[in-house]
Parts: sequence; C-alpha cells; structure tokens
Amino acid sequence: MAEIQPTRMELIKLRRRIKMAVRGHALLKMKRDGLIMEFRELLEEAKVAIQKMVENYNKAQQKLLIAMAIDGFPALRSIALSCCRVPPTFSVKRKSIMGVVVPVIKREKVAKRAIEKPYGILSTSVRIDEAVTAYEELVDSILEVAEIETTIRKLLEEIERTKRRVNALEYRVIPRMNELARFIAFKLEEMDRENIIRLKKLKMKKAKK
Amino acid sequence: MISRTKAAYAYIVARTKVMKSRLLKSEDFRKLLNMSFDEIMRFLEETEYKKEIDEMAYKYSGPKLLDYALSSNLAKTYRKIYSVSFGDAKMLIGQYLRRWDVWNLINIIRGKNANLPAEVIEETFVPAGEFSLEDLRSMLSKEISEIAKELEGTIYGEALSKIGSVPMSVVEDELWKSYYRAVLSVKANDFESRVFTHFVRMEVDLRNIKTILRLKAEGDTAEEIIARIVPGGYELTEEEARKLATMTFEEVSKSLEGFWFGKITNVHDLGRAEIELDKIWIEAIAKRAGNYPLSVLPVLQYIVLKKVEVDNLRILGWGKWHSIPNEEIEKEMVIV
Repeated sequence: MAEIQPTRMELIKLRRRIKMAVRGHALLKMKRDGLIMEFRELLEEAKVAIQKMVENYNKAQQKLLIAMAIDGFPALRSIALSCCRVPPTFSVKRKSIMGVVVPVIKREKVAKRAIEKPYGILSTSVRIDEAVTAYEELVDSILEVAEIETTIRKLLEEIERTKRRVNALEYRVIPRMNELARFIAFKLEEMDRENIIRLKKLKMKKAKK
Repeated sequence: MISRTKAAYAYIVARTKVMKSRLLKSEDFRKLLNMSFDEIMRFLEETEYKKEIDEMAYKYSGPKLLDYALSSNLAKTYRKIYSVSFGDAKMLIGQYLRRWDVWNLINIIRGKNANLPAEVIEETFVPAGEFSLEDLRSMLSKEISEIAKELEGTIYGEALSKIGSVPMSVVEDELWKSYYRAVLSVKANDFESRVFTHFVRMEVDLRNIKTILRLKAEGDTAEEIIARIVPGGYELTEEEARKLATMTFEEVSKSLEGFWFGKITNVHDLGRAEIELDKIWIEAIAKRAGNYPLSVLPVLQYIVLKKVEVDNLRILGWGKWHSIPNEEIEKEMVIV
C-alpha cells in the first residue's frame, strides 16, 4: 500500500480498474454458470452414452458367445484375424463451448453391412455377422463415450479454472482494490483537509499582519 | 460278379455304417442337455473323443479344450474315411473334403494379413482335406505371394491371383466358388458323378439361399447379391437366384415355398432359419442316401452328420460353460 502514490490520478485509474474487475467478475460468473449448465447437459448425455455402451458390451458378449458355440473357437479366431486388420478410422476436430476448445470425434461408422465386412459371406454364418456387428457397434459407442468424456474433462478443468478466477476476483482482487481506493480517497481527503488548514493558517497570519 | 466300383462303395459304405452307428443319437443329446459341463466332458471321455481330449488337455481347458478336441477328431475322422476308401469313391470323397483346404487356406491368408505368429494361425487348422498338416505348415513359412505362386494352376490359382486387387472377402468367396466349380466338374462313373453332383448342387442351393436371405435382410442390391452366388445350384439356379435377388425380403420369403428347402417357418430370424435349413438338408440327404445305399451318398451323409454332431457338442459345451438355459441351447442345436 505504501508503494501506491495517493494521487487523484491513481484513484481514477484504480476506480477504472475496479469497474473493469467487477464487470470481469460478473462475466466470469456468468461463464462459470454457463459452463456448469453445459456440463450438466453433457453429464446426462454421458449417462445415456455409457448406458448404451454397457448394453452394447453385454449384447456383444452374448452374441460372441453364441457365435463361438455355433461356429467354434477356431472359426471365430479366424474371423478375428481378418477383422483386426481394420482399425476404426476417425478424425479429431475442435469446437468451442464458451471459449473452451473441446474435441469432436468425426468417426466413420465402424458397423458395416455383411458385404463390406473383411471376410467372405460363403464361409461364415449369420451368427458370426451378428457377433461382428455387435462388436462394431460397441466400438462406435466407445468412441462416442470417449468424445463425451474428453469434453466433460475439458469442461471440468475450465469450470475449475473459472471458479478460481471468480473467487480470486471476489475475495481478493476486488476487495484489495476497494481498500486501496478507500485508502487513496482517505489520503486525498486528509491532504485536502491539511491544505484547508494550511490555507486557513496563512489567512490568519495575513489577517494578523 | 460285383464290379470294382460297386465293391469300393460297398466297402466304404459298410465302414461308414459302423462309424455312423457310433454317432450320438438325439436321445443322447437330450441326456447331455441335462448334464453339467464337467459331466459332458466325462461322458465324452468314454467315447471316441477321449484320445483328442487327452491329447489337448495339456494345452487347453474348459470349452476351448472341447472345441479343439472336437475339431481334431473331425479332421481325424474325415482323414480316416478318405484313407479307407478307394477307387472312384476315394476320388469323390477327396474332392468333397477339399472344402477344408479352402478353410485352411483362408485362415492362412487372414493370419498372414494380420501378421500373426504361425502358432496362432496353426491353431485354426482342420487338416481334413488334400493338404496335410505339413503342407499347411510349409505354407505358413511363406509369404502370401509365394503361396499364390505355388498354387498357380490349381483350382485356387485364379482366386488367389486377385489378392491385393479386390477386398479379401471377395477373394474368400472366390475360393469357395472355385471349390464348388471343381467339385461339380468331377468325372466319375456316370451314375456316381450324377449322384455326387446332385448332392453338391443341393448343398450349393443351401449356401445360396442362406446368402440371399442374409444379404436381403440387410437391403443389399441385386448385383451385390448375385456377385456372391455360387453357380451350379440344383433348384436355385443362377437364374432363380437372380430373380430372388431382385425381390424384397418379404417376397423372397414367400417364394421359398416352391423350392425343396422351402419348409422353413421362421425366415425373419436368420439364425433360426439357418438351423432350420440345416435340418431340412439332413432330412433330404438321409432320404437320398436311403434311395442309393450303394453309392457315395451314405458316406457324404456321414460326413455331414459327423460335422453336425461336432457342432452340437460344441454348442452344448459353450452353452453349459456359460450357463445358458437348456431351452436356448437346444434351439441352437441341429437335432433331427
């Protein structure tokens, strides 16, 4: 506080900064609330996506079991040999939610028609198709969950950061600046009073003469 | 005097009759359905599967042990049938069993494409065809291009030459088409070749109708379906297949009534439809084998029935291991 020059100019500057900080605080609060709302919506989406992923996983396990029982482990392993060469293709783009850059996974549907699958139709059964399709759908839903989860994580980080800024402004920066402004104002008033007294004394001296 | 051809059939039919009598009956399967997985294994240890189960037990356990033991027994049985037959019968059986060469060849290519170790690929082999286990192992040590070069001039040469220029699924289907083309062009004694090709053509019908139903259910176009049709069907000729391919799924299901396999009741559940078709197939070949007892048909019937038995036992094993209800397991089995 001692480093601050208690001048009128400084006070004007400080008041401007306080005004800006208050406005920034309000904006950040709005941003935080907006992010929380966005987060809540995403949370609902995530719940649905995770639920879907779990369902797809159970379905895929069941279908795999049936295919394994009907076509045998060697046949399934052989199909797996042809399928493991085809990794899911996807590209990661970015979008902004209230200034937060989150990933958008543009994925090609992994689930394909029987004719597009990497194994022949004549040597496989419908049960194998069903199992492969169920696993392809599972990969699709895993990618969807991954996208939502990354977005949620980024949003959480941003919410945390924004919350810290809001709190810092609310409980430290603005109160300190207000205090400083009060101090400068007090000092200026004191200087005014000193000046008035000094002037009065000068006036009195002049009158005595 | 009995001709050499007739003698060959009489001998092999007598041998397969004995083997057929050892196949599990439908009552056995119903009994097995009420057993636990361990009880089923114990039961099988008292049958001809004992040797394979014991041999594989050091490497596998649970349903995998059963699965590999069944595949091994299947290959052994088929090799035995082939080795005890002679003359035209041997040639026809050999031709029919070449399907396992296609199976093994496809597995080698898939494995090589996926850069998998030889041991992993070898585990998928069923060496019941013309290629011995040694032949298959030697293929494993070669590159796909070398295998294709080595098989140039064989029935697989043309299909293998397409590797790299078309998707692998097309190559696989082409290999099967090559197999059926070769099997349908066998030259045996007139009557025998007629009976044999008739059997194979009926099988082609089944393959084709399964393909049509599967692809129609997904809404594939007529051209896409026709490309996967195996030529040489018995009633489901290429022309008939073309007609079905242009219809809607509903129309196809109604049109099936006119074919020998048209008794299927549940076309909409494709899995069930495939099982029903297999049952119809078994009934049809039993009838035909009964009509021609001194031909290759009883042997082919046994080959099919053995495969069905192995499949049923596998379903039972995996089903029991994963506690699937008996009704569900039974629905997946082909019990005639």
